[in-house]
Amino acid sequence: MALWVDKYRPRELSKLDYHKDQAENLRNLCKQSDFPHLMFYGPSGAGKKTRIMCLLREMYGAGVERLRNETMNFTTPSNRKIEVMTVGSNYHLEVNPSDAGMYDRTVVIDLIKQVAQTQQIDINGQREFKVIVISEGDELTKDAQHALRRTMEKYVATCRIILSVNSTSRIIPAIRSRCLGIRVPAPSESDMAAVLQNTCKREGLVLPPELAKRVVDKSERNMRRALLMLEASKVQQYPFTAQQEIVELDWQVYLRETATQIVSEQTPAKLEKIRDRLYELLSQGVPPNLIFRGLVEQLVNNCDMSIKAKTLEFATQYEHRMQNGAKHIFHLEAFVAQFMNIYKKFLAELVMTDDF
Amino acid sequence: MSAKKKPWVKSAFSDLNLIQKASPDPLPVKRTRSATVAAAAGSKSERKIVKPTTDEVVDLTDNGEDGGDTAPVVSDNWMESFAPSVSDELAVHPKKIADVRNWLQHCEAMRKKYPAQICLLTGPAGCGKTAAVRVLTKELGYALQEWINPVDCEEINALGDQPEGSYVGSQLQAFKSFLLRASRYKSLLAAHNKRLLLVEDFPNALLKDAASTFEDLLDEYVNYGKSPLIFIVADSKSRMLNISYKLFTDQLKTKLRIEHISFNAIASTIMQKSMKRFATLMQQQEQHKALYKAPTQNVLDSIVVCAQGDIRNALINLHFGSLRGAPSMATKQLTNITSAAGKGRKRKATSTLKSIGRDESITMMHALGRVFNPKYTEDKDKDKQLLHSPETLAEAFCTEPRNFVNFIHANYLPHFQDISHVNAAVDDIGLSDMLLQEYRDDSLALVGLTVAVRGCMVANVAPISGWMPVRGPKRPTIQPPLSGPEQRLMGVAYAGISKRLYASEFSSFVKTIASKRN
Repeated sequence: MALWVDKYRPRELSKLDYHKDQAENLRNLCKQSDFPHLMFYGPSGAGKKTRIMCLLREMYGAGVERLRNETMNFTTPSNRKIEVMTVGSNYHLEVNPSDAGMYDRTVVIDLIKQVAQTQQIDINGQREFKVIVISEGDELTKDAQHALRRTMEKYVATCRIILSVNSTSRIIPAIRSRCLGIRVPAPSESDMAAVLQNTCKREGLVLPPELAKRVVDKSERNMRRALLMLEASKVQQYPFTAQQEIVELDWQVYLRETATQIVSEQTPAKLEKIRDRLYELLSQGVPPNLIFRGLVEQLVNNCDMSIKAKTLEFATQYEHRMQNGAKHIFHLEAFVAQFMNIYKKFLAELVMTDDF
Repeated sequence: MSAKKKPWVKSAFSDLNLIQKASPDPLPVKRTRSATVAAAAGSKSERKIVKPTTDEVVDLTDNGEDGGDTAPVVSDNWMESFAPSVSDELAVHPKKIADVRNWLQHCEAMRKKYPAQICLLTGPAGCGKTAAVRVLTKELGYALQEWINPVDCEEINALGDQPEGSYVGSQLQAFKSFLLRASRYKSLLAAHNKRLLLVEDFPNALLKDAASTFEDLLDEYVNYGKSPLIFIVADSKSRMLNISYKLFTDQLKTKLRIEHISFNAIASTIMQKSMKRFATLMQQQEQHKALYKAPTQNVLDSIVVCAQGDIRNALINLHFGSLRGAPSMATKQLTNITSAAGKGRKRKATSTLKSIGRDESITMMHALGRVFNPKYTEDKDKDKQLLHSPETLAEAFCTEPRNFVNFIHANYLPHFQDISHVNAAVDDIGLSDMLLQEYRDDSLALVGLTVAVRGCMVANVAPISGWMPVRGPKRPTIQPPLSGPEQRLMGVAYAGISKRLYASEFSSFVKTIASKRN
């Protein structure tokens, strides 16, 4: 009982569904004895992690698929103890240092040291190095990235690093230049539809092409989201019909409702209610930048052309402040207040012009 | 003082004594006033009272009614001679005294089985925590042993492998050994058999990020200690500095059954009573009578008002105010209270000390009220000005700017009438968050706080007044762990997914799938 995303994830480079040329290139990369640090970049749900796992399998064989969970403990210089969950096999270790928050620097350094200081015992294992997969590398703080660049060079003999990032713009140039960048673009819509059909066939389900197309549209070219959506929809209603309701991300639905409420009334009391809703989203763990983005998209869709530019201007200003500040709610609220203000003024002007 | 002195220590006192003895007529020696005081203190038998002219005394007031008096020399420790010796004299509320006494009696009862009981006393500074402990332990026949942070923990190096034979040991180690040893072994000189340990002075190492170390320490103490242990912690406004909050977590308190007794600031009626006691004490004893004059009732009242429940501070002020030779303290009327007296309710005009005494502190709720209901001076000639300046308000909370801004943010909305006023305020609150985040410059914290306070006050053009409950700032709660079926769905791979990604991409789908599958 696993999710379809995991169950039908391609395990080998040759079995990948799309970007086949790139798969060929990756296979060639493995054939050589040496192997650089890699950086996979591309939008969320494009298949970066899948390609990384395929690549590892190509290098080490089926052994990498025997995964185990391991909790690693680290002590920061200020004596705080952090626990980080990792997934790994005998050949690789996957870690998400961004979960350690501002202490990710310690995690990065200690982890690499621990892994790199042990040589591979198994001589028959094809490679003499282990691989550390760092997912969401762009969430690493600048400190951690600088620490990473030193350790990367120091332990290059015994370990290689594969970074998986959404955007290279948040990776410092020093690391970018040390890695071979591999771009994984989002799959095309026809690719995605094919994957969905394929998955359903293997599950023994019948998927109407219209529904597949709708799921693809809703998923914003995010393969992972599309598969999860389809599976959740299947759980809700099967046999599929072309016009059935598709299960969406609950926080997106919630955000849409929030935007409608903002447009409906512009008073301090309403702002307070909106604040509670935003708190709710934050406490669900939805990243504030996603909330901000979703909110702006919805509001811009809901408002008149004449105030769109102003709204976006405020959005950029407060988003910037949110990145620099610590209390995300302040800036989300500030943006909502500004929008309410300009929207209210716009409505008042509308009434005035109607009168004359 | 030990009889044998190290030769290289040259005592200032003995030197002066010699001079005084040698020359009864002290003309050739040019003496400063402080030296005289020191000399007098050093040789009680031949105390000489010098008469300084009034100009030398710090002149606090212009009324010279007691300017002609002589300045006395204080011989013994003022605080000690007026310290309470029996529990009836304590200024603490009787119920709290009973609480502490009950705890001590409880310790007595459990002495055989669980000797290592722990108690935590908290309360604002100067509310008589230490005094209560001292008096009660004396009454119940305990020998009090107090931990005082050593200036350096020099340890003799037993191995001898270091050049100088000694090194600086860990203070924490010393603290630990104090706890365990002092509770087990009594001093050779002490007659008491019952011991009680007191820790008021926390080792520095415990003050930051050491809750787990502290827990280990106490665990050990509960197992091996042989006598009750009392911790005294003064409250502090800032959470960062609050030991009772940081070290004594609720978990720890329940786990080790730590008795937590929290004292309140001393009520003004009790304080007045103690002030009277001090005043009569001053007049009763001969030695005191020579030093002090009777303070006027006005001064006594002002001292009580000014001390804000801090008896130690009140005592110091009393001492200073009633010294013979010192001018009586200037008092000022508290304007806002007298003006209220005009409207129907009869209230006694209260006054406070003018130039000394504790800082006028302002509570958080009070300050929030001033921020949310900005008042302006009604002076027609001048420009419109805020009655309470934002700078003063901000300065009162500069030790915890973040907290105050969070409170402002949590509560400002209901006080605004229109959204067009709100947006200016919230803009400044956001700006202040950015400023507060800048940790490289300390001064920016105050600037950030001022921006938030001023922004809120100025933007609120038409404040809604009226009573509104103050709410604490919300903290986004931590996500709950996955339920069983959800966990099974995710499998091993869950560890590789960050919490952020899980919440934004997986959570809602996985919930649906997990709920319907079973």
